[in-house]
Amino acid sequence: MTQTAGAAPEAAAAVTAASDDVPTIAPRVPRSWWRLIVLLFGALVFLFPFYYMIVGSLQKTANTSLSGVVPRPGNLTLHNYGQINAALNLGRALINSGIFTGGVLLATVVFGVLAGYALAQLRFRGRGLVFAFMLLLLMVPFQLLIIPLYVLIVRNYGLGDSYLGMIAPFAINSTAVLIFRQFFLQVPKELFDAARIDGASELRVLTRIALPLVRPALLTAMLLTFIGPWNEFLWPLLITKQQSMQPLTVALANYISTVSGVATNPYGAIMAGAVVLAGPVVALLIVFQRHFVSVNIGSAVKG
Amino acid sequence: MKSRTMFAAAVTLTLGAAACGGGGAVSATAAAKATGPISIWYSNNAQEITWGEQMVAAWNSSHPGQKVTGQQIPAAQSSEEVIGAAITAGSEPCLIYNTSPASVPTFENQGGLVPLNDFPGAAKYIEARTGPSASVYKSPDGDFYSLPWKSNPVMIFYNKKVFAKAGISTTHPPLSTYSQFLATAKKVVSSGAAKYAIYPAPTSEFFQSWYDFYPMYAAESGGKQLVVNKKATFDSTAGQAVAAFWQQLYAKNLAGKGAYTDDPFATGTAAMAIVGPWAIATYKGKVNWGVVPVPTTKGSSGDKVPTFSDAKNIAMYASCKNRATAWAFMKYSTSIREDGKLLDMTGQMPMRQGMQQLYASYFKANPAYNEFAAEASHVIEVPNVPNSIEVWQTFRDDWSKSVIFGQESPDSALAAAATKINQLVAGGATP
Amino acid sequence: MTSVTSPRPKFPPLEGELRPGTRPSRAQRLSRAALGRHPIGMLFSAPYALFIAVLFAYPLGLAVWISFHRYFFAAPGVSVPRPYVGLANYQAVLDDPAVRQAFLNILIFLVINVPLTVALSLLLATALNAVIPFRAFFRTSFFVPYVTASVATVGVWLFMFSSGGIVNHALGPLAPSPSWLINQNWAMPSIAIYVTWKGLGIFILLYLAALQSVPKELYEAARVDGASWWHRFRAVTIPGVRQVTTLVTLLAVVTGANLFTEPYLLTGGGGPNGKSTSPVLQIYQTGIEQNHPDFAAALGIILVIGVLLISGALWLVQRRQA
Repeated sequence: MTQTAGAAPEAAAAVTAASDDVPTIAPRVPRSWWRLIVLLFGALVFLFPFYYMIVGSLQKTANTSLSGVVPRPGNLTLHNYGQINAALNLGRALINSGIFTGGVLLATVVFGVLAGYALAQLRFRGRGLVFAFMLLLLMVPFQLLIIPLYVLIVRNYGLGDSYLGMIAPFAINSTAVLIFRQFFLQVPKELFDAARIDGASELRVLTRIALPLVRPALLTAMLLTFIGPWNEFLWPLLITKQQSMQPLTVALANYISTVSGVATNPYGAIMAGAVVLAGPVVALLIVFQRHFVSVNIGSAVKG
Repeated sequence: MKSRTMFAAAVTLTLGAAACGGGGAVSATAAAKATGPISIWYSNNAQEITWGEQMVAAWNSSHPGQKVTGQQIPAAQSSEEVIGAAITAGSEPCLIYNTSPASVPTFENQGGLVPLNDFPGAAKYIEARTGPSASVYKSPDGDFYSLPWKSNPVMIFYNKKVFAKAGISTTHPPLSTYSQFLATAKKVVSSGAAKYAIYPAPTSEFFQSWYDFYPMYAAESGGKQLVVNKKATFDSTAGQAVAAFWQQLYAKNLAGKGAYTDDPFATGTAAMAIVGPWAIATYKGKVNWGVVPVPTTKGSSGDKVPTFSDAKNIAMYASCKNRATAWAFMKYSTSIREDGKLLDMTGQMPMRQGMQQLYASYFKANPAYNEFAAEASHVIEVPNVPNSIEVWQTFRDDWSKSVIFGQESPDSALAAAATKINQLVAGGATP
Repeated sequence: MTSVTSPRPKFPPLEGELRPGTRPSRAQRLSRAALGRHPIGMLFSAPYALFIAVLFAYPLGLAVWISFHRYFFAAPGVSVPRPYVGLANYQAVLDDPAVRQAFLNILIFLVINVPLTVALSLLLATALNAVIPFRAFFRTSFFVPYVTASVATVGVWLFMFSSGGIVNHALGPLAPSPSWLINQNWAMPSIAIYVTWKGLGIFILLYLAALQSVPKELYEAARVDGASWWHRFRAVTIPGVRQVTTLVTLLAVVTGANLFTEPYLLTGGGGPNGKSTSPVLQIYQTGIEQNHPDFAAALGIILVIGVLLISGALWLVQRRQA
């Protein structure tokens, strides 16, 4: 189905390693200078807030003037981190975020790969139905479902204030399933057919052939799935009543709207929390960016 | 296609059936006599938490079989969200020490509250403690669904340093009539002593009107509630006068229109604040403050000016299994001793009659609080009517549009709000 | 390649594949017709299907049901009347001026965000699509805002765009007053710019992938013909990535229509005079805060229908062009 890839969200997003090959005619010098200028300006706009976040979190008193951009030695302190940690228990909140995200990643990888493979390469009753629902799911805002879901999960299944309750609505990320499906669509069918002709059971085809192939898509899918629960704060806000269960997004959001007013440097404390929240993700991105951009699913975009 | 869809349908139906069947309710008669461990929530005010923790510890040491577990109410944009969601899930605690009287009708409607009259002698206890004004907290069916606990009479705080800088008297500032107040406000801002004269939150949460319109309406109307006998009362000379007053403040930029995170009075951005004594702890060390009653058109002397109580009550919730313990604990936490401790540790007024005499030593040591204690006997409450949260939201939306953002005349906005509110109170569920 | 060495089973293999040299038996044909060639696919996709059924289809169905009844949440075990009210909730939604304002706000948002997103991401992707020093650094830097939690980035934007913040200091007298997020005219545009900034990374990557597949010969040909950079861009690049443009537009529209986090965090509760409220924020407010899930459900259904219509329209446009 050529048009379905059209709806593929973040899915089709990586660039091939082969993209390092270049047009054979060397660009004229002025051209590449313009490029660099544009890109530098862009990078500045994209990264400046993060730099400012770090600077702001280290300030003793909020310095919002232009000179505040450069950290002044006399105005530096780690006090903001201490303050927000006193209000929130950053460590515990980070752990909760980690468990929430980890659970979703696990479920998505295990069940998503299976589903993606099935949707791509297997023909079975209901395949179209599952696929159609998946697309619909990508379009419906979560907030519409949040009310019945809340009653279902907390009252009927009694999963309030539990990690399972937090993970449940996000358990299998449909975007990831789409990625896997697109990926498996590109694998030549003959590869699987040959194994079947040899007499392998479907299960063996899956484990011996399909799964080893999927590794590149796996990393991409995981990186994209990670962002969902890591970012999510509305659902955990509803589900968790105890502070000890709240992930960092919820804790920080509440801090911004309610308690921050009484801190000595409210913005500083908020920045400190933001740095703690943003830090691990940016670090992961830098570490994994080599892998991330070396997966070729550019053809998924065409398809 | 058929077998697959049937399979899916079967799964959905089974789960749906299971889903509908779940959720255990608590049998009221059995629970009313049961004793055992209970859980409570207090607000997230730091001083209240300290008070709450010592109280819980004291109870626990003398009642080993009936342990009380306390925690702060989970933070959110409003406590109603949290409590409402918890009631729906059946996961709310036995007692919540932060129940706003405005939410009592909603929670009652949901079946989330336990009528306190279920407990023998409860009504008498409440009336003995709070006095005749307790009747305001009864629900239309005559029962108490919450225990009036503490109030924070809203008054005008002024920054003595800023006033001195602007050349205004710090002992008897001219703030008792509207014209005096406006003149003082202009003087403060034009002299550069502060950026704004007064800066109540201009955002549209349903409760914000309790900190700009309602205290002044109470004063101007001589103690009328927003809705009396199912009719809105504010579409009147008094209501219009209050609206016109605030409109002037906003139009002349004497009051700010933008949302903020830090307290403008505490940072000196605003010269005055309209708030209750709970805020005193925030101002300690930052502002040298004085306090006067809210102004009225004609002005009045002394502290008999009515104002808004900003009361918070204690309510018992339906998921509570050990209600006898909960009731006993409610009485314990509102005893003379604990009320005194509350006053001491938080500066908020327990709703106990004769408070000034009972705790004379406290008031002697903290004379500034005498004003609040005196006002505490002249406070009005939010009306206990159906859809009360929506009523306040409707009012706030119309107030915002006309008074704060000047897109409509306040008089017509008040009239429109009154019509909508009359419908809501009559039990209509129009949004 | 593994091979099976066990003796040939007596019954037709479940996999449904033909063994070479045999005709499918009647049972095989029927089973294939009923269950498809690889019924084990049902097993593989079962967990996901179950997930969709329980955690998506059922709540969606319930939401639709709620939208046709008078409904509010009650404590467990308390039974309240839930009468059928037909289209009353939908009527109430369409009549509500606050809802109309919210849809208008989203329109403003989309008008700013979508073209900006498409244009900027294509331009930046084109700029990236060449040999330049520090290429990996640039690629990573554009992606950083995307992967960061909204709560964190919102915090720093609130700081930068506050009344006394650095942006207003830089702008000096040009700074709008009241400041950005509390200014009725600037609140929604501010949010639109913020969301564009935050989401650009993924779209740049999408375009980068697409640019790879534009045949280099076309550029050569154009260059040989003497076309300038801009002409080459218009004649080769833009048509070449048309499909991705549709994809990006679609994604931006769907995300924009379902905007919740940014209005909630940046302007908490609807902004100045309701000028930065979004429909989904209203769903949350009416459904959860005010306990009117019937109104919220109707609003949500209307929103979903709107999104589906727009997506369908974009789809058809793209189909016709292709």
